[in-house]
Amino acid sequence: MEPDRLNRPISRPGERKLGDESGPSGPEVNKPKSDNELMRRLKKVDPDRAKNYRQRSGQ
Amino acid sequence: MDRVLCGIETEYGIALEGRGASTQIEDSKHFVRSYPGEVLSLWDYRHESPRNDLRGFRLDQLAFDPVDAKFDAGEVRGLDSETRSDRILTNGARFYNDHGHPEYSTPEAWCAAGLTREDALGEQILLETARAYAESTGLRTQVYKNNTDFHGASYGTHESYLCPRELGFDRLFAAVTPILVARIAYTGAGKAGAEEGAAIPFQTSQRADFFVEAANAETLYRRPVFNTRDEPHADPAHWIRLHVIAGDANMNPWSTWLKVSLVQIAIQLEKIGRMPRYAIKDPVRAAKQVSRSLESDARIELDGGRWTTADAILDSTLGAASQFLGGEFADVIEFWSDLRGDLRADWTRAIDRVDWCAKRYVIESAEPESIPAAQAIDLEYCNIDPEEGLYHALEQMGEIRPFTPEPVSGLTRAALRGYAAKHFPSHLVAACWRSLTFRREQGTLEIELRPDVEVPPSIFEILDVESFIETLLELNSWNPTD
Repeated sequence: MEPDRLNRPISRPGERKLGDESGPSGPEVNKPKSDNELMRRLKKVDPDRAKNYRQRSGQ
Repeated sequence: MDRVLCGIETEYGIALEGRGASTQIEDSKHFVRSYPGEVLSLWDYRHESPRNDLRGFRLDQLAFDPVDAKFDAGEVRGLDSETRSDRILTNGARFYNDHGHPEYSTPEAWCAAGLTREDALGEQILLETARAYAESTGLRTQVYKNNTDFHGASYGTHESYLCPRELGFDRLFAAVTPILVARIAYTGAGKAGAEEGAAIPFQTSQRADFFVEAANAETLYRRPVFNTRDEPHADPAHWIRLHVIAGDANMNPWSTWLKVSLVQIAIQLEKIGRMPRYAIKDPVRAAKQVSRSLESDARIELDGGRWTTADAILDSTLGAASQFLGGEFADVIEFWSDLRGDLRADWTRAIDRVDWCAKRYVIESAEPESIPAAQAIDLEYCNIDPEEGLYHALEQMGEIRPFTPEPVSGLTRAALRGYAAKHFPSHLVAACWRSLTFRREQGTLEIELRPDVEVPPSIFEILDVESFIETLLELNSWNPTD
């Protein structure tokens, strides 16, 4: 595994969830129908994809 | 009013099956060389000056990421030009390997609409290259138009704006920095998680986590909000190239168009002394605050104990544009007014025009169980393959508003570069943004490509190199006051 440049964890179990910022609540998201192209592709996304994605620093 | 010549350079992320960051420079070299289209490979580095600073000094050296330095320890590579593998494309673009990232630098454009279309063409170039690379190597190849690997490595999407030298650092910094901070709220590409500071599930910007200083000439490390690199790619006595490194790579063309338009407006207003002034006390902190404020209500602290918001900065800037720039940016003003209304009422109404809203929508639709899982979705949003990418899924579902702004007419100097690369390659010994150098019987002849000249379409009728050279020299004699 190539090195991680971060010094701090970016998340901790039990922390806020997406969209749970302070202030007024965001509106409900109208989720797309399950048979649409987006959902089809989302099902194929490997949840570990970003964990294993490493790049050189560019400019 | 003079137009602002502009360009975008995008460093793409690459994921090649079985390969990683330690081999990325070699891999990116081979990737770039896989581009199947016509190219000319004689980039001229003589006019490059990345260590020159707008504030009037030259750095001894640029900072380098220490993790990357470890990768390179003991590495022996060939000539730098071999590694970079610069290609000049027949549209005048530059395509090369920049620190391990395939970088597409668009041909110069006169307006944001034209530049947005050139940027989109770059995605097609990358896609063609990826397919050719995959076919020749047998490796699964994915290309991402984003700015982070989520582990602390960032790569850039830079914008260039040609400005008169007399504007200078102080005025450009004062005029443009507030826009670079404020536009994040509307043009950020969105990012799951954070790579600096307190944990957060989602923010509007890919890049804000990487800003360290308000202004400096660095790009690889200790990145600034306002970059001071003084490398004009034109006659330095007359021109500055404002080198913006604070923006995100956008999938949605409306975001690209808006981010470029806002900087152009700031420059045009500054030229006539009408750009509203916001002396942001700490631009780095302000950029991070705007990025982390999904409601765009972050208080931006100003000198003297006052404060403002991203909306107030943009509102006053576009108000000044309406008042002082005629109708040149009327479409931008109308677009932003509608967008602000939609975004403030319900962010899901802006999915069709704002990348971070679309990305947030996609992530929340998937209900990921962790930040890394959300980041996996973030990454795939930026996958440029129309058959795989999540942005492209939205586009194919009709969720992205078709991009309609039309470019202003007129060719830039990129047309000269591209035409020469296609029709007179054997007569060229070097070429770059600034000039073309021809081989002639009596020796070499370098001819400046003036950035302020509108190139006539009649150049496309020239069939012989001597007539082409003659036309270049005639264009250089053009006097803007004639």
